Amino acid sequence: MRGSRKRRAAAFDALATAVAICIGLAVVFPIVYCVLGAFKTRPEFASIPPTIWPESFHLDNFREVLAKTPMLRYMLNSLITSTIGSGARILFALLAAYAFAFYEFKGKNFFFFLVLATTMLPADTLIVTNYLTVSRLHLMDNYLGMSIIYFVGATQMFMLRQHFRTIPQDFRDAATLDGCGDLGFITRVLLPISRPVVMTLFVQSFVTLWNVYLWTLLVTNKDSLRTVQVGITMLTTVEDTNYSLVMAGVALLLIPSFILFIILQRNIVKGMLSGGLVG
Amino acid sequence: MKKKLAVLCCLAMLAAAMAGCSGGSAATTTAAPAPAAPETTAAPATTAAPATTAAPAATEAPAATEAPAAPATPQTITLWHSMSDDAGVLMQRFVEDFNAGPGKEKQITVEAVFQGKYSDSTTKLRTVLQTEQYAELPDVMQIDATGIVDYKTSGKAYTVDDALAADPSYSTGDLVEAVLKAWNYDGVQLGMPFNASTTVMFYNKTLLDAAGVASAPSTFDEIIEAAAKLPAQTEDGQDLVAYAQIPNTPTLANWIGQLPGAGANASYVVDNRNGRDGTATKLVCDSEGTLLRFLTGWKNMLDSGALINKGDGLSDMFYTGRLALYTTSTSNLNSILTTVNKRFELGCAFYPRIDSSANFGATISGSAMFMFDKGDDGKKAAAWEFVKYLASPEVQARFSTGTGYFPVNKGTYEIAAYKDHVAKYPQFAVGVEQLNATSPDMMGVTVGPSTDFYYAIQEYVTAMADEDWTPEETADEMSAALNGLLDQYNKANQ
Repeated sequence: MRGSRKRRAAAFDALATAVAICIGLAVVFPIVYCVLGAFKTRPEFASIPPTIWPESFHLDNFREVLAKTPMLRYMLNSLITSTIGSGARILFALLAAYAFAFYEFKGKNFFFFLVLATTMLPADTLIVTNYLTVSRLHLMDNYLGMSIIYFVGATQMFMLRQHFRTIPQDFRDAATLDGCGDLGFITRVLLPISRPVVMTLFVQSFVTLWNVYLWTLLVTNKDSLRTVQVGITMLTTVEDTNYSLVMAGVALLLIPSFILFIILQRNIVKGMLSGGLVG
Repeated sequence: MKKKLAVLCCLAMLAAAMAGCSGGSAATTTAAPAPAAPETTAAPATTAAPATTAAPAATEAPAATEAPAAPATPQTITLWHSMSDDAGVLMQRFVEDFNAGPGKEKQITVEAVFQGKYSDSTTKLRTVLQTEQYAELPDVMQIDATGIVDYKTSGKAYTVDDALAADPSYSTGDLVEAVLKAWNYDGVQLGMPFNASTTVMFYNKTLLDAAGVASAPSTFDEIIEAAAKLPAQTEDGQDLVAYAQIPNTPTLANWIGQLPGAGANASYVVDNRNGRDGTATKLVCDSEGTLLRFLTGWKNMLDSGALINKGDGLSDMFYTGRLALYTTSTSNLNSILTTVNKRFELGCAFYPRIDSSANFGATISGSAMFMFDKGDDGKKAAAWEFVKYLASPEVQARFSTGTGYFPVNKGTYEIAAYKDHVAKYPQFAVGVEQLNATSPDMMGVTVGPSTDFYYAIQEYVTAMADEDWTPEETADEMSAALNGLLDQYNKANQ
């Protein structure tokens, strides 16, 4: 009896693992294909049937990317704006979420939904207004102007607030009794137990900002302030695009996201798990 | 209650996520009819030398006449360009050379900034103009057909004619006339030619020779004949097609422009000579029957299997021998030559015609350099110096041989290095020969809703190919849609 149940559990495990591996491969495949494609020559890349493994790992595409674009400089710019933008975004989201989760005040729900409603506005409709604002603030051509419109994100606020609501109010009461103020409670109690969620949101936001194209193009007028996505455009032409070259560029700019992911991987996995339990 | 709230929230977030996804493309398409608001008043100024006088800021009168030929104090000017890949590298080099040579002598420093593809830089220009943040305008900008209307109505244009008035020593007579005319609107020379290209037909000569096709097809019927001789598959078992293309605004302008019309040796897609003599208000190719004539020929090719309705990935098909005829701009010739290398013999012929009663020829594509008037005479003079440098015979020779754009300066054709290059790669000469054969009446299409126009043409031709519409149906539907776009735009910009 017990044996058959065990066997059934084992069979289910095997099946689940197989399905997970398949999904994992499907997700990873484009990235692997892109990285491998970066090593192919142009005719090799265009050959039919398409090959996965390059004939040889030649580095000409990477050399060409670095010769045609200051990609390393662009990566630094993207790194700076993504970090500033995501950092500020998480900070503001954290404070707002804290207020919505732990404070009682008049019109709380109204303001909460007001904030959420901003997610309904497509970002593109705001571009001209944002441009005008940033231009009037004299923030053109600097990192602040490139990232300032990302400082407040309703999605992050919402996620954090939902998470904070799972934390018993008693924690805060206990902290208050022990003489801990709001900031003390946030930094000493709330943040440590919310680290996985915060890290996950940070990485997700970082990747989004890393991929921004139009905004950073609009507010910068210096080559030295361009970001990686502009760098990728520099490798293509309207008439004819050399995809193996573009892949090499993309492979290069995957590196920082990749490193960030590895560093924070453990937290992200935890964040996803705890999210699953809560949901 | 709580559950309902949660569902609501989730929906809201989903909507946000979806809006996020459509990001980039939406920005450019929705921005298309944008220049509406602030420029409306400047629009009627198109009749005569508009720019400087129309601009409210340029109160210092037609500043042009006072501008010195060369700036006395050191000037730094900005250039916005859209040259990427090989052309981008060259552009950077020209700027460096200018700064180290002629620029240094005249105390001019140029700061070049890549502003994305033409459509991106046009979006950026529109944003600056809409928000009236004129200080953000560059001194020189590379603009193609998508941004020309915005420039014309900006009220901040410093045209080549303005610059010539200040610098009578320079003569545009050294420049290729057809290219100059391409950027001349209502008799005003708006832009200075820099990179000009035209559309030609590249072909896999090895493939055609093996199939017994003696010369490159020059009409739609000849394409069908050639396709019948070509094998259905390549040696390694891949599908082989003779020709693949989806018509868009410039290609349609070519095929319709090749047909002799009433009172001109070319026909037009829209009125006012394709929007050259004034704002285009309606289609003329529908009432003149030229659209139907084109669509009928196109449908014949589709039905015979000689043509497939496909617009992207064509270069890779061509390089790997799966596409025999490839119509594209000459601007990438250098890269095509390097990629084809010795895989097959690269042929280059004139752009094909609907039938043998049509003329050979294709419109000029590419872009030009446009100057802005930001109220600083020194900067205007500096911009003019730089623009002249870019059109000089030497720079044009280097640019042409490094890309495939043809030289816009007649002097280039006398430079030994250029002549040697053309002797070695005769493909470079085809674009220029075609240009000389093209009727001067032929014009590219200038319409306000340029982006929507472009995609609408593709959409209806695709419907004809995929949903088997008759050419008549397609012509009716397409003309209704395109006329609608023009109406909408003109009503919004009156």
